[in-house]
Amino acid sequence: MLLTLAFRNLWRNKRRTLLTLSAMVVSAALLILALGVFSGMFRDMLASATEQYYGHLVLAHSDYHERRDMFAHLDEEIASRYIPTEDSEIIGMSPRLRSFGLISLLETSQPVEMLGIIPDREKQVTSLQTKLVAGVYPSDKVGNGALIGLGLARKLRVKTGDEMVFVTQAADGSIGNDLLIITGIFATGDSRNDNNLVLAPLQWVQKLMVLPGRIHEVAMTLTDPMLAARAADRINPRLPDNVEILDWGDLLPEMREVIAAYDVSRMIIVSILYMATGLGILNTFFMSVMERTREFGILMAQGMRPWTIRSLVLLETCILGCIALAIGLTCGAVMTLYMQQVGIDLAAYITPVTYAGGTILPHLHAVFEAGNFYVPAGMLLLVSLIAGFLPANRAARLDPVQAIREV
Amino acid sequence: MLFFNNPVRLKTLAESMKIERSTDIFSTLFLTIVLLLLARPAFALDVEALVRKVEQQYMGASSRALTTMQVKTSHWERSLEMEAWSLGRDYFLVRIIEPAKERDVATLKRYREVWNYLPKVDRVIKIPPSMMGGSWMGSHITNDDLVKANHIEKDYNLRLIKETESHYLIECLPKTDSAVVWGKIVYRINKTPQVPEQIDYYDEEMIRVREIHFDDVQQIGDRTVPLRLTVLPLEKPDEQTILHYRQLVFDLPFDETYFSLRNLKKP
Repeated sequence: MLLTLAFRNLWRNKRRTLLTLSAMVVSAALLILALGVFSGMFRDMLASATEQYYGHLVLAHSDYHERRDMFAHLDEEIASRYIPTEDSEIIGMSPRLRSFGLISLLETSQPVEMLGIIPDREKQVTSLQTKLVAGVYPSDKVGNGALIGLGLARKLRVKTGDEMVFVTQAADGSIGNDLLIITGIFATGDSRNDNNLVLAPLQWVQKLMVLPGRIHEVAMTLTDPMLAARAADRINPRLPDNVEILDWGDLLPEMREVIAAYDVSRMIIVSILYMATGLGILNTFFMSVMERTREFGILMAQGMRPWTIRSLVLLETCILGCIALAIGLTCGAVMTLYMQQVGIDLAAYITPVTYAGGTILPHLHAVFEAGNFYVPAGMLLLVSLIAGFLPANRAARLDPVQAIREV
Repeated sequence: MLFFNNPVRLKTLAESMKIERSTDIFSTLFLTIVLLLLARPAFALDVEALVRKVEQQYMGASSRALTTMQVKTSHWERSLEMEAWSLGRDYFLVRIIEPAKERDVATLKRYREVWNYLPKVDRVIKIPPSMMGGSWMGSHITNDDLVKANHIEKDYNLRLIKETESHYLIECLPKTDSAVVWGKIVYRINKTPQVPEQIDYYDEEMIRVREIHFDDVQQIGDRTVPLRLTVLPLEKPDEQTILHYRQLVFDLPFDETYFSLRNLKKP
């Protein structure tokens, strides 16, 4: 009975109800969209740091994590020995050997970071193969094909097919030097990678550094980057004392901070926006309660209890909230979907921005994240109830006699 | 490695002296100065000239040397046989003879530029400014040492801080506008024969980080030269680089054209 009554009351002043409803729908939908775009931006930043270089987890000698000590190397097979293959969260593992040296072509030389990789394994961890602007990914484990960043290629004025020299201090003190052939050039938008990074087959780097069968780290990818900290905690106890797994949060503490701060800032944005929406709802219901003072007086005179009146008004706001929510979530989801599929390209206006170790790409796009839906949804309902509570209270406290007399 | 010389400077100085002596006024002046010097040696000691002189001991206008370099680090130890040529303070060329794996790897220094030749890939590589602090041939000597060492009195203010019966102690503090890596350098120079005995290098926090010791003092022609030089990086107590000149010949007939990129490549 109460429900029917509440429904009927809502539709008595259609224009006002629809206006309030539309305000709620628009705020919810836009909020969901905005949060989706924010999440997309953070996802990009995290991806640029992890999927372009680190991976989600990095296994290495403790000294290597700390000081990048060239001599803190591990056996090539370390990962298969200690990490169970049935671990379903880990979807990629790439052994790497790192060397800092000089790359040179004719008169120009540049200091670079050289990563020795097994191409098929590295592709499971980083996504540089999707960032190629020229040539192809080095295809085999043995050859001397190399992948270099676009910034570096420009500085050295090289193109695919060119031959370069890499020189470094080998592990036995000798001067390691050999020729590389550029097979591909990548552009990630992250200047540190684009200007410094060279990828070459693992065995080539091992031979150059006189470190056969040795690696410095194993980079790993998980099904979800947010699982990294827990996965690291799970695997670390199984490893020998001098070997340690760090997650991306340890490697990029600023990034972890940024993402933690996002959860807080999301609450703040939601609160501010809904404060305005809440005032709108409050206004609507106060008006509707004032208008119906006489009516409430009659209902009470006929024996309706104050709490029933209160529930009636609250129910009305609740129904309005639910309808707004249903439409708002749908609209928000549709807009997010559009932004996810299409997005907005800002490349013409801004260049990639590197921040907190990640890169924000000049392409706005959204991602779906549960929190971006249930936080606004829950808040919307809460705000509706709070905004409905005051008018409901007022209605419940009416003195029937005076209320009836009111015109 | 052959960075303790300054024959070009010496030559110009000698020439200018000759000119001075040819005029009466200058010769009188010169004589007066000499007398003054003789009368009060401690007061008038020219530290710059002294430091320059001991550094110049290593060669004349030109030199050629056979050198053994032993490098010991906590991870490896190796010994290199090298042949080196130098001309003045601005040119030198070093080529590895042993071990066979690195035979003909060579370094050329011309003024403030350093090139390496890598026979394995048959390429010449110029060391960029950002890599100047890097190790030279895996030793405890940096590329920067090669380039900067002979410019000590250009980049530093020299001051005699102590004189004993047998030694001079000279402190070098960087000039305000010079871009240098050390916070302070202290020379310990033996009086007779006048040879360097030890050089201490301090970082910006005035912590002693490196020592170079000189010994095995020998008479070569009319020069007295310490033939062995030991570099000790003090942060790594178990590491060192020893440079030993086995043959040293001075005043050879070659000019700066010898120090070409073509010669760098050609054994």
